[in-house]
Amino acid sequence: MSELKLIITGLGGQGVVFLTRLISNTAVALGQLVMVSETHGMSQRGGSVISHVKIGGSEAPLIRRGTADVLLAMEANEALRNLGYLRRKGVVFVNSSNGLHPEVGEHLKRLAIETRSLPASQQAMELGTAAVANVILAGFAVAHPALPLDIETLRRTVSEIAPRGRELNLKALQIGYQAGKKT
Amino acid sequence: MTTINVLGNEAIALALVEQGCRVVTAYPGTPSSEILAGVVKHKKRLDRQVYAEWSINEKVAFEVAMAASWTGLRAAVAMKQVGLNVASDPLFSAAYQGVKGGFVIIPADDPGPHSSQTEQDSRLTAYNAKIPAYDPSTPAEARVMVKHALALSEKHEVPVIVRPTTRLCHAVQSMELENGPARNGNPSKVRFRKNAQRWAATPKFRHKLHVELNQKLIDITSEFEQSPLNYVDGSAAAHRIGVIAAGVAFNTAKQSLCELGVKLPILKIGTPFPLPQKLVAEFIAGLDAVIVIEEPGTCIEMQLPNRTRVHGRLDGAVPAAGELTPEVVATFLAKTLTESGIEVNAAPDDAALQQAIDSLDLPIRPPRLCPGCSHRSAFYAAKSEFGPKAIYPGDIGCYTLGTNLRAVDTAVDMGASVSLADGFFQANRLTGDKRPIVATIGDSTFLHSGIVPLINAVHTGARFVLIILDNHTTAMTGFQPTPANDYLADGAAATHVVSIPDLVRSCGVGFVRVADPFDHDQFRGVLSEAQDYAQAADGGIAVVIADRPCVLYEPTSVREALLPVIVTEECDGCRYCVEAFECPAISLSADRSRVDIDYKICVECGQCIDACYKGFIVPEVMTTEEQRV
Repeated sequence: MSELKLIITGLGGQGVVFLTRLISNTAVALGQLVMVSETHGMSQRGGSVISHVKIGGSEAPLIRRGTADVLLAMEANEALRNLGYLRRKGVVFVNSSNGLHPEVGEHLKRLAIETRSLPASQQAMELGTAAVANVILAGFAVAHPALPLDIETLRRTVSEIAPRGRELNLKALQIGYQAGKKT
Repeated sequence: MTTINVLGNEAIALALVEQGCRVVTAYPGTPSSEILAGVVKHKKRLDRQVYAEWSINEKVAFEVAMAASWTGLRAAVAMKQVGLNVASDPLFSAAYQGVKGGFVIIPADDPGPHSSQTEQDSRLTAYNAKIPAYDPSTPAEARVMVKHALALSEKHEVPVIVRPTTRLCHAVQSMELENGPARNGNPSKVRFRKNAQRWAATPKFRHKLHVELNQKLIDITSEFEQSPLNYVDGSAAAHRIGVIAAGVAFNTAKQSLCELGVKLPILKIGTPFPLPQKLVAEFIAGLDAVIVIEEPGTCIEMQLPNRTRVHGRLDGAVPAAGELTPEVVATFLAKTLTESGIEVNAAPDDAALQQAIDSLDLPIRPPRLCPGCSHRSAFYAAKSEFGPKAIYPGDIGCYTLGTNLRAVDTAVDMGASVSLADGFFQANRLTGDKRPIVATIGDSTFLHSGIVPLINAVHTGARFVLIILDNHTTAMTGFQPTPANDYLADGAAATHVVSIPDLVRSCGVGFVRVADPFDHDQFRGVLSEAQDYAQAADGGIAVVIADRPCVLYEPTSVREALLPVIVTEECDGCRYCVEAFECPAISLSADRSRVDIDYKICVECGQCIDACYKGFIVPEVMTTEEQRV
């Protein structure tokens, strides 16, 4: 895997830090070196949360706007707010029931940025709790060639970092992954 | 060998334990708070005898750790950069007296700032105090530098600073967990040895110690000239411009140059004070110009004796305020390089996309008090009682967010709400301003530095109302215990639990009442009595302690008395509740005709019932989903 740059974003309480840990620990388990920059403190207070994740790359903690390969967003507004981080031909995975705002559609087309949208919160509620929407989104994203993280390793990692929620998280991963594979 | 992801602060903590620190103290402060927690975690994992303490404030933390280093034990103290200001008195004195066991001070700077009152540069404090400073670029390097720092500290018997910044403290980097042989040492072999001319030095001896300190710095400079922590990265460069960089900014600069498609020689400085001048001079001699890239101040840049070929903050090439993000660094590098005739790659940002996004007017998400926060209820009651015209000195903590309710007029530094209330009283007595003065301070902040100004105010006859917002913890930074809690940093039982009401009474305050801010009418009544006392001829300062635990720290008190609410059909969207109560769970509907409750984040504290004076927010009598709007 060559260097991969991801921006992970959402609001405080949507599990952005957990999602970041899931992705970065999986990358390490796959033998990659990782550098992550997290937001702390304000996240509990309903603020926007953003993590910069660099797999196999430089040691600079932040990703420059216009250079990220992947944007993982727990919420449509936060996806929009941070679209500027994506490079041309980048991919945005967003937890949303109706994609992104049409206003940006023509620009995304021009920049060949692909939008992959999934109503992960709804699917999470069907599983019993909104809290696993982030794990569903992770499964959905790794089914795409833009995020080549092995699903087996992801499964092992989610079980390691959240042993108590293991069964539910594995179901969530599966739902997301299958949805990703289908389209 | 296990590779794991480690938070920067935890990497620092790991190094402190691995390198044999026996006493580590701290006061919570973003971005440094995870250091002490990391020490507790790794001392347990490595089964080391380490005393870890959340001290009452940074000055005490510094002095406690320093005493340990005077006995010969290795010690450390951590804080945020403004916490170093609090510890500055012992810092400057200690530089002259020196240490015995290695003593490392870890002030975390916050370029931006993201969550601080200043963007000050602790390396410049080190310069002023004549204390050597290390400037790590990554969590892995911080771990290495702590080892160097402790060894240097012991060899030359000086305290040493290791200075991380936010993007290192809260970075997570993969590294090997086991890092080679760890230093254990034998604590029973050391003792404090008396030497009054050193440890109790009076001015005549201070001069001698100063001369010795100056010599130590000369010796340390020679060592830094040879240190592997200072090196040239990327020789064989095509251009006659170079970069001198340090800290996180070094890697950001490297990344930027790569993206700009330009190869420049970079001198990485890991030891900015005392600066290895010969190394730097050699580097500059071979070039036409250099750009100095460091954060957040000019520690390296201003130590250069000859700046004719130097670009940086001092000549305006680098912005003098704000974080050196990749975009900022790329912009000033591109400008400087282009002006020197070097071609650079175009910026990858797409302006048209950003314009489209900006035109969407996405909701701004400023930090706010949580749903169910006891501070909101206290502020709401205070505003209801004293009105918008009162003067509300505020302080540092979650409750600084009382600005959102316009119930905090000032925020300067820890404990200042009390001193400012005192100062405003004295000034207003001279100017004839009769507005009520209502100061607010948290429990942890009060213990940190609110007691002393309260004594001053009582003694000099000031009059104001002080509300101590006691939510039983140090909330903003992650629920660290205070001396009013019954447990210590590592979970052990506290020997004594301080009583804040008793403390306040001991300061001489004649009106001390403890009340629950959730009981709106009663709390307002107490505030009214407090103001009466503050204004009475035979009265004085009135202290009201708003006693209710933080809803995140201890949710049981809310969970035991859940009060689900609904907004009735009659709501007319006047927005009073949104403006005056400001709970994140209450917002104006999309068509702005009414307010709605976001039941995903509502904690059912029921406090908003008092927020609608028209009676449109009421307890939910029946629990059918359909009745919830």
